[in-house]
Amino acid sequence: MNSAQIEIQLIASLVAIACAIPGTFLVLRKMAMISDAISHSILPGIVIGFFITQDLNSPLLIVLAALTGIITVVLVEYIQKTGLVKEDTAIGLVFPAMFSIGVIMIAKNANDIHLDVDAVLLGELAFAPFDRLEISGVDVGPKSLWIIGSILLVTITLLLAFFKELKVSTFDKGLAASLGFSPAIIHYGLMSVSSVTTVGAFDAVGAILVVALMIAPAATAYLLTTDLKKMLGLAIGFGALSAISGYWFAHWLDASIAGSITTMLGLLFLIVYLFAPSKGVIAVMYREKQQRTEVSLLTFLLHLKNHTEKRERHVNHLQEHINWQKVRAKTVLDLALKNNMITISNDIVSLTKKGNTFTSKAIDYIITNEDTQIEDMKEDFFLFRG
Amino acid sequence: MDIQEYFSLVFSDYTLRTITLGTAILGAVTGMLGSFAVLRKQSLLGDAISHAALPGIAIAFLITGAKDSNILLLGALVSGLIGTFWIRGIITKTHLKSDTALGLILSLFFGFGMLLLTFIQKQPNANQAGLDKYLFGQAATLVESDVWLMAGVTVVCLFVLLLFWKEFKILLFDADYTKTLGFNTKFIDVLITTFIVLAIVLGLQTVGVVLMSAMLLAPAAAARQWTNSLGIMVFLAAIFGAFSGVLGTAISASQNNLSTGPIIVLVAATVVVFSFVFSPSRGLLFKQIRFIKNRRDLELHKTLAFMYHIAETHEDISHPHTIKILNNFQGYTRGTLQKLVKKNYVTLDGNMWSLTEEGFNTAENLYNQQSTSNE
Repeated sequence: MNSAQIEIQLIASLVAIACAIPGTFLVLRKMAMISDAISHSILPGIVIGFFITQDLNSPLLIVLAALTGIITVVLVEYIQKTGLVKEDTAIGLVFPAMFSIGVIMIAKNANDIHLDVDAVLLGELAFAPFDRLEISGVDVGPKSLWIIGSILLVTITLLLAFFKELKVSTFDKGLAASLGFSPAIIHYGLMSVSSVTTVGAFDAVGAILVVALMIAPAATAYLLTTDLKKMLGLAIGFGALSAISGYWFAHWLDASIAGSITTMLGLLFLIVYLFAPSKGVIAVMYREKQQRTEVSLLTFLLHLKNHTEKRERHVNHLQEHINWQKVRAKTVLDLALKNNMITISNDIVSLTKKGNTFTSKAIDYIITNEDTQIEDMKEDFFLFRG
Repeated sequence: MDIQEYFSLVFSDYTLRTITLGTAILGAVTGMLGSFAVLRKQSLLGDAISHAALPGIAIAFLITGAKDSNILLLGALVSGLIGTFWIRGIITKTHLKSDTALGLILSLFFGFGMLLLTFIQKQPNANQAGLDKYLFGQAATLVESDVWLMAGVTVVCLFVLLLFWKEFKILLFDADYTKTLGFNTKFIDVLITTFIVLAIVLGLQTVGVVLMSAMLLAPAAAARQWTNSLGIMVFLAAIFGAFSGVLGTAISASQNNLSTGPIIVLVAATVVVFSFVFSPSRGLLFKQIRFIKNRRDLELHKTLAFMYHIAETHEDISHPHTIKILNNFQGYTRGTLQKLVKKNYVTLDGNMWSLTEEGFNTAENLYNQQSTSNE
């Protein structure tokens, strides 16, 4: 591993971390698509900044571009406030228009501008180490490392300083306002940080992939935890992990680093989406199946409770009477047996004492919907876990 | 070439005719289907689908090794559909919200597509050049067969739209009711979504991945301002879309260095802004005018009520008073006084005003108009 490779991985990881922090709050505030809008509409800001400074890494350009991002947010909110269209339509109208203006500005000045749309949209991390920052003749590292590093530093400082405010205003706007934190200031503060991060990251990973780095780690983390601090930590971890593994994947495939980082994020999300312990698709499907069986069990127990005749309680008769298929009937029967709720003698099913109390309790719960009665049943049955 | 020259060339020049026809048809079909996307609050779905189509194009190319645009579009369609249904899966199966699901699929699919595209570029295959036209679109690459394909899809889409008009409409406005009526909502839903995906995929070649969502939304959002009827809205959206396509092509053809896609989007955006401002019933301009008019009426009422309370204390209701006593009352202006005179509620005599019989009665009933008219 040579020093350029280490620098690329360092930049990629810092970008991933810097994106994951505002991204977590965007996902929680249901504003994920705003990051997409910002990442597209900063283009005119970048172009104008480039006209003025002729340098893609100048701070003025970053400020101008971030300003365009904030203008986008304000514009979206203004259109939404008129009530003429819904919020998502407002977003969908504003950013393509801004992006078009940027593309046209580039096209009109194609001759005297060394900036093409591909570079802005896709970025090229592989070239980042070649643009070096020199302070009084001493090489102190790649420019983009310094830029994204300082953005990350500011983001972390703001996060630590305003963590409580951010948390409250994210989960309960009304409470935050009544406690005296202005939701507007926090909102625009978050928007500014997102804009600046997007701009800082765009020349490393490209505007669209910034969106992936903002949303994907946070969404993946959200499937695993509901604790804000853990979610932030996980998102940062996922971001950095994908950045480094993505780099090596791109290295092996000889393809775009940004694209491969996103692919890693996608794989990570897919795995968590399928296998997350309580919120993954498989877990949800298993739970739904279990709940279905348990509803059947309850129906079955009720049937037993209501019938004392032997004829009604014969194993085969149950199958016909409640109209279940054989397999289903067997699962339900097994479940009931395992929980000691029934006994079977000579193919006649009868309720045990435990089964009897369980049934009454469950019916009670269904009628009154009072949670306290079934605390002890929650352990064993999905049905009562809500 | 200026715009006039363009319009004279449109009918004779093959390339211009093809491109103009193509963008017009594309604008019409996306406008039509976009109306449904906007009303179903799925505006950003178009953005997500168009990005999600990219890996499909790359994979189709990797498999066939040829650059036949029909096969590439088929790949885009498949990958767009996978993206759409995955979005739906995320929303229904997990607690992630729709915006997160859209952003996720959009960026992840696009990133994966970029990975494949850069991977293809490294392959020793001369055919690969030009795949990136799907990113930003190049209307100039449209050929007659593409236009025929678009026209064919538009006809099928129109046919399906007319056939299932009732179902689409009812699903749009009350999904639960539709279900209770016994319609197969899942089927209708999949049908309309598939057509939206199809329209987006068709547009990729012309306006590109990034700007496609605007083609879907802008005509529909503009049309929504002019009507409350679904049929008229779909029709208007198609017109607006076709108009943006033609005008955008005309402008970009008449200038150097202007790609068609962004110009079409900007024309469509202008149509939207125009509709937002000038629509008679919902537009901002007329809303403001109505607002001012209402405020004026209210002030008139306030002046009249004030006069009424003064007149009340006198036996003769038409007893004259000086105008001066109205002066420190905020609803009063010389204009409102004139208006009251015109309505015959007040008579002026030099510096004095007096309430007429009619004015007195009106003022008396000012605040119980509602109840009297109901009786």
